[in-house]
Amino acid sequence: MHTQLFHIFRNTPLGRETLLQSIYFCKQVGASLIIYLPEFTKFLMYFENDVVQIDLDDSYLTSPGTTLKHVKELLDQGKIKARFLEPKNFTASTLPDISTNFDFMCCPRSISDLSSKIGLGYIGPRVRRIVNSARFPVLITSPVFKKWRSIAVFFGGSANAINALKLGFRISRASEMPLSVYTQMENASKESYEEIIKNENLEEEMDRYVTEWHMFERGKFKQNIYDVPHDALVVLGAYGHSLIRNIFFGSKMEKIQSTITNNLLIAGPNYALTR
Amino acid sequence: MRILSRWRYPASWTIFRIDDRLLLILIALIVGTCSGLAAVALNRSLIAMFEWLHYFRHYWWSFIMPAIGAALSALFLDKMVKEGAGHGVPEVIYSVSRYGGLMRFRSSFSRLISSCLTIGSGGSAGPEAPVVMSGAAIGSNIAKLFSLNDRQRVTIVGCGAAGAISSIFNAPIAGMVFSIEVILGEWKAVNIVPIAIASVAGTEISRILQGNQIAFSHRLFHINHLDIVACIGLAIISAAVSVLLTRFLRSMHRVSKKAPFPIWVRAAAGGCAVGIIGLFLPIVLGEGYHPVRTIIEGAFTQGFGIVTLAVFAKILATSLTLGWGGSGGIFAPCLVIGSLAGLTYHRGLVLLWPSVSWVNEGCFALLGMAGLISGMLQAPLTGIFLIIEITGGYEAILPLIIVSVVSTTLCHYIEPASFYLKELVEKGQLLRPGTDARVLSDLSVQELLEKDCIIVKQNMLLRDFINIVKKSHRNYFPVEDERTGHFLGIIHLDDIRSYLFNPPMYDAVVLCQIMDTNVEVIYLDDDLSEVLRKMDMNQLFSMPVISNKKFIGMISKATLLDNYRKELMVQTDL
Repeated sequence: MHTQLFHIFRNTPLGRETLLQSIYFCKQVGASLIIYLPEFTKFLMYFENDVVQIDLDDSYLTSPGTTLKHVKELLDQGKIKARFLEPKNFTASTLPDISTNFDFMCCPRSISDLSSKIGLGYIGPRVRRIVNSARFPVLITSPVFKKWRSIAVFFGGSANAINALKLGFRISRASEMPLSVYTQMENASKESYEEIIKNENLEEEMDRYVTEWHMFERGKFKQNIYDVPHDALVVLGAYGHSLIRNIFFGSKMEKIQSTITNNLLIAGPNYALTR
Repeated sequence: MRILSRWRYPASWTIFRIDDRLLLILIALIVGTCSGLAAVALNRSLIAMFEWLHYFRHYWWSFIMPAIGAALSALFLDKMVKEGAGHGVPEVIYSVSRYGGLMRFRSSFSRLISSCLTIGSGGSAGPEAPVVMSGAAIGSNIAKLFSLNDRQRVTIVGCGAAGAISSIFNAPIAGMVFSIEVILGEWKAVNIVPIAIASVAGTEISRILQGNQIAFSHRLFHINHLDIVACIGLAIISAAVSVLLTRFLRSMHRVSKKAPFPIWVRAAAGGCAVGIIGLFLPIVLGEGYHPVRTIIEGAFTQGFGIVTLAVFAKILATSLTLGWGGSGGIFAPCLVIGSLAGLTYHRGLVLLWPSVSWVNEGCFALLGMAGLISGMLQAPLTGIFLIIEITGGYEAILPLIIVSVVSTTLCHYIEPASFYLKELVEKGQLLRPGTDARVLSDLSVQELLEKDCIIVKQNMLLRDFINIVKKSHRNYFPVEDERTGHFLGIIHLDDIRSYLFNPPMYDAVVLCQIMDTNVEVIYLDDDLSEVLRKMDMNQLFSMPVISNKKFIGMISKATLLDNYRKELMVQTDL
């Protein structure tokens, strides 16, 4: 199946690391790389029921004369071809519309704030809105290029978690990398999680792709996360619960992203499995 | 939790499942009220700002005030809310025609603040277009909150625009007609009912908070047959002035774009120039409703020369304000320029035929306003109803219709697209529902892909290929490189028929020898209008789709037209 990953290039050392992550991801899952070299510090992404204005920080337009050269060097180094996206439609003369018809999108933790906010525990508001609105999963990269050798899916039993699990199968199938599933058991038995898998007819895929299913019965979630290999691509669902529940109990995705430095592949509530 | 989250999906409530038009009516009421409030807020802010700055206007340095206002407005838009300058109506139409009315939340307040700074400080612009954008954005975001679909969201955006215009002019019919004629571009019952409700809500909010005022009340006009004949001349002049204003605005915009300064410096320069003009002709400053009232009352005392000069000065001032980065709309300037043009025409008639008993000059001013609005917007009904409602009388209805219709027709002949639509039409981005461009834009290459083609390798023998042909029901066979998987060309059965019926060739020919390498291809992000153009130009019925040099499917004219028909039915069948 033909898949595409969308990447916005930032002409800085951080941008280089992010592009290296995208190149690696594309090579592993056999996706085509679509790169946007921004000419303006803002653009719009129209989703099905939302429009997100991305206000890039000025570092995206650093020394525009060298941008293409830097990108081509990294592509040659990664031995991969990419297509450069030229916006065709403009909402205003300096406000291009960027297509959202992709299969994956790569984001650093923040694309619209200062590069200093790239540490753990911070995901920019635009990235949150993209994750919330997009029909594609978002690859949130670690600040420094890091190859991943396995896939770790966080599965909590919700509808979003099932989507994440299916996404994990998809990545495992494409990359031929081992997949582990991690579940923090919250007042539920092991059987109940297995029942969810059974009800979703995922038993066969579980047998085929999953090498290990870690079920944490004891200990706090933040402590148990230590068991996730440092070189795993972490796949998880996000924002599947209501706003009220997130306010009172917090978002699991936020906890994970503020604790581990791995590359994250996040399936938002609108992630369409048909893609 | 589930119960709490249900409020976001009112379409699933039992009452609205009976008829979803009820839901639209309810939301239209909310949107009309909100956009009406936004319009009143802007109106009140402008009045407060005028009063506050009035004291300073007597100083010699007052020419700098429009510069400061325009610069602050540009800085606010560019640095704080990160939006472009301009009036915003094309942005609303663009969002309606291409993205189902999706608009950013920040647009619901950004233009209100920026236009208040520009107009309040003396810039020559109107508050109507900014409230249209604000109302439309409010509508869009409320529709988004309630998870309405594209079709419903577009209607609610129209409701926002209608509520805003109705409220700011105290003119419900004009708001309704403007929204349908200019913003949505389609007259359908499903749109008209909610928009009418929003117009009523917007107007009522304005009447509650500001009183039921007629913006430009006038005494009774006694119009005779000669006046009606003379209207044709006024319509021609209105059309000429409309075209002049359109071209001036656009040329100023082009010139300012070339200036190597930040947007706020450009806006300040434009504002400064307006301020200097305003020192000599104060009529050009601000929205200009006060002089319009004076003109309609027949109390404007300046002579023919000054009035003519004022027409050109206002055109220049509006172009400098809006073209150089200020924020605001063209409605109010159109009313001012139109009334001045009407007055000039009346004075000209009196000079030429002093013995004829012409109707009061206020009537011609009013007709000039209708002519300018109709000419600029190429929306005659909006012009007619707006003038009827803001002047509170029907006695000028016949000349109003004549001026509006003739002005629209002439302007359309000279400038095929209205001021609001010109840029969108030039870029091919005006996609009205049910039009060819809109139907094609709602389809994508990806969804039309036919993936049942059998891919063959370049070094395959003709004999092996014939076995594949037997199994396939297609006439096209893409050929790819064995090593890289790259697309090399295509085999069309019609082109190789002579080989197929020549058995000695079966083991002598490989596919790379007979394939067609000079093939027109399509890429995933190509527009379907471009795909159809290529097919027509090269008389093709199928074309291969390529991504990353690899073949991913075919697109056929038959599938395209089949989907085209289905999409057209969705867009036109309600």
